[in-house]
Amino acid sequence: MQAFERELLTLLPRLRRFARALARDATDADDLLQVALERALKARAQWAPGTRLDSWMMRIVRNCWIDEVRSRTRRARTFVPEEEGAAIGSEAHREVELRAELHAVEKAMNNLSDEQREVIALVLVEGLAYKEAAELLEIPIGTLTSRLTRGRQALAQMLEAA
Amino acid sequence: MIDDETLMAFVDGELDEMGRARVERAAAGDPALQARIDRQRKLRATLAAFYGPAAEEEVPEHLRAMLESNVVAFPAAKPRTSRPLWQSVLALAATLVLGLAVGRTLLAPAAGPVGVENGRMLAQGQLAAALDTQLASAQAPDAATRIGTSFAAADGRLCRTFESAAMAGLACRGDQGWQLMMTTAGSAGPRSDYRQAGSANPLVAQAAQDLMAGEPLDAAAERRARDSGWRRR
Repeated sequence: MQAFERELLTLLPRLRRFARALARDATDADDLLQVALERALKARAQWAPGTRLDSWMMRIVRNCWIDEVRSRTRRARTFVPEEEGAAIGSEAHREVELRAELHAVEKAMNNLSDEQREVIALVLVEGLAYKEAAELLEIPIGTLTSRLTRGRQALAQMLEAA
Repeated sequence: MIDDETLMAFVDGELDEMGRARVERAAAGDPALQARIDRQRKLRATLAAFYGPAAEEEVPEHLRAMLESNVVAFPAAKPRTSRPLWQSVLALAATLVLGLAVGRTLLAPAAGPVGVENGRMLAQGQLAAALDTQLASAQAPDAATRIGTSFAAADGRLCRTFESAAMAGLACRGDQGWQLMMTTAGSAGPRSDYRQAGSANPLVAQAAQDLMAGEPLDAAAERRARDSGWRRR
């Protein structure tokens, strides 16, 4: 195994956490990571040894999420209200409520805009500095901080109301 | 007045010293501002509590395999044959050759399974990866490096024996990585019986015996040790 694979292996747990914060649920997150790993292995020549593999890889995960998985997630999401609606008044409804409580964070994250969600994932979940996150997303730092601020206000409100 | 953006930068540790002092001073005399700060800290903590465990879970095998399968397959080993004395003598001679190879690695530490840091020989590359991740109970039949026994040494470090085509040996996990305690020639060439894990190499087995405190780890203990990063006991 090359240093590249070896280092990626040690990054996998962290990348899963990042994918989890981006994607709709744990299954989508692992699908996302799989797609990203495929892309990374194909593009390995573009990684300059000695530079940070974690930022390089997080950028790929994020781009994959934008390109491929997110569109599928959107289709999936349109079915959710129907399921919940059909379950009203039944035991299943109670279960939906319980699950909703457990996953208040996930639900709140899912209600953010994609732009807000990715900055929250990078800065608040992965602990990147503003500068690192802005470079990774290729946006000015002012754009990053305003998305971060608005996303956070929305998250706090949703979680306090939950 | 501290705006939301400044307040969040404060919570994220993004303000310089003067900025931090300013927010702290303002919060000291302003319970409402302190409450806003606490609210943001709580949000950070909530997110950390929710997503943190995702990094602790065991990574699904199919994802690991995508990286591990990129290992160049090593030719399948031949059936085990009994080893006459002259082969052990050859193995010892090969140890000397290995010594030369390690010496060369000292000068050009970029490649190969062994590097030197602070005067210690450390496993690197594919060997380090195998020591880090491979379970003796679940290794691919054509794995380039075979892990033999895993055990705790008297000083609490976790150690593992390994064998590959080039080299067999014993490594113990320290703060800087896998320190090679002893190495000898591997099973390349006519001696391709390295698939007999653990006790295949008598020199390695003897070294392991000398270092081992208690019993070797069983499969479950080996997995736990790996999942906790081979932390000292």
